[in-house]
Amino acid sequence: MSTPKNPMELLDRYLQAVRFWLPKSQRQEDLIAELGEDLRSQIDAKETELGHPLDATEVSAILKRCGSPMIVAARLGPKQHLIGPALFPIYLFVLKMVLLWILLPVFIFIIGPVNVAKAGSDWGTAVLNTFGDLWSGLFVAAGTITLVFAIIERTHAQVAIADKWDPLKLPPVRKQERKTSLAQTVCEIFFGVIGLMWLLLLPHHPGLILGPAHTFLKAAPIWHTFYVPILLLAIVGLLRSGVTLARPQWVWFPRVAPLLQTVLSLIMLNFMIRTAAPPTGADWHPFVVLADAAKNSAQYVRVAAVLNSSILLSLAAAWLGVCIAAAIQTWQFLGFIRHRISGAGQPASLHVQ
Amino acid sequence: MPTSTTASAEIFENLKLELRRGCLTLAVLTQLRNEQYGYTLRKALAEDGLEIDEGTLYPLLRRLESQGLLVSQWREEDKRNKRFYRLSPQGEQTLNQLLSEWQRINTSLSKILQEA
Repeated sequence: MSTPKNPMELLDRYLQAVRFWLPKSQRQEDLIAELGEDLRSQIDAKETELGHPLDATEVSAILKRCGSPMIVAARLGPKQHLIGPALFPIYLFVLKMVLLWILLPVFIFIIGPVNVAKAGSDWGTAVLNTFGDLWSGLFVAAGTITLVFAIIERTHAQVAIADKWDPLKLPPVRKQERKTSLAQTVCEIFFGVIGLMWLLLLPHHPGLILGPAHTFLKAAPIWHTFYVPILLLAIVGLLRSGVTLARPQWVWFPRVAPLLQTVLSLIMLNFMIRTAAPPTGADWHPFVVLADAAKNSAQYVRVAAVLNSSILLSLAAAWLGVCIAAAIQTWQFLGFIRHRISGAGQPASLHVQ
Repeated sequence: MPTSTTASAEIFENLKLELRRGCLTLAVLTQLRNEQYGYTLRKALAEDGLEIDEGTLYPLLRRLESQGLLVSQWREEDKRNKRFYRLSPQGEQTLNQLLSEWQRINTSLSKILQEA
């Protein structure tokens, strides 16, 4: 940038820079004219004090004292915000819930492991692709949530939300938030560890699940894909119990974490049922296949067919049960949020601690 | 500790801003009993010990004008266009009420400080 020969040109440049940051309107011209007049008066006063016309450095000092064009415009212009202070705590809460507690775990524990298992030897590419999808997902979700809240802010819908409360309907004062019992958490950890060990032993000891039938049956390839996600889900369950035990003051955690685990289980069950596909013929062996030694036995073929159908039905029943659990947990979680909002009387109470 | 000092200074600055906000409005309204334009108003306030920057004064003047407490007019003076402000009749009335309130608060505060 060149230094102007006429020092007063610096003032015009400054006003042009401030104008750039102000919203375009008649008010903008008014503000610029008034600011310009103020600065010219300051320059006049300084010239009278010094007894000579100001040079570029002296004019620059006056402008510097006034502040950077962007900051001056921000002070002069109308106060603007995408999401105002009334909605911001709720916005932050929803953003944390969706990004950290739903999207991230779904990618880490379900989509990532499934992609890796499907890719086989090319697992590096699968990991990179999963990260790419995760980033896109995070940006799209954050953008969508921000857009929705910005629309609510612009349409003044938050005023209606804030006004919809009645002091007479506030819940009675709670003595203390209910905490999960210590015995229950310890039991969960104990059985969680046993379950995890059982899962870890399964690949080498199929008899632990098939019993004596492991002599003529073996696991189908579908389990190669889903073994790691199942293992990770079991670890998530253990971690959940561990956090509940270590951080009893996080009263929100026992409400959020089981719901999250249920959602993850539901997603995985969906994947499994869709991958198994409906029974189409004699070659349909999605879960267990006959061992090489028993392939010619008609009796074992029938046993394998019955077992595959039974597993599919069990998965469908489990899916239904998990759906019901998800609905109940969601209802309880929403009740917990309502309780907190009405109890504290303001949205700030929604902050995830 | 430096962190604690910084936090304490920040708290003081915020409280000082809060305290100044209402006082500035009162000072500006009082000064505008006589018509003035932005620069002379800032100068007059600074001479009386209340410095106010452009970014604070002009939005305040706009707000007071939109509330009907001030009226403004662009006029040429010394071959330059200047926006002159003065109190509106409603502004006169509001200023008198605010000054009474200020006197009441001042009396109460003096009493509280003497008792402490």
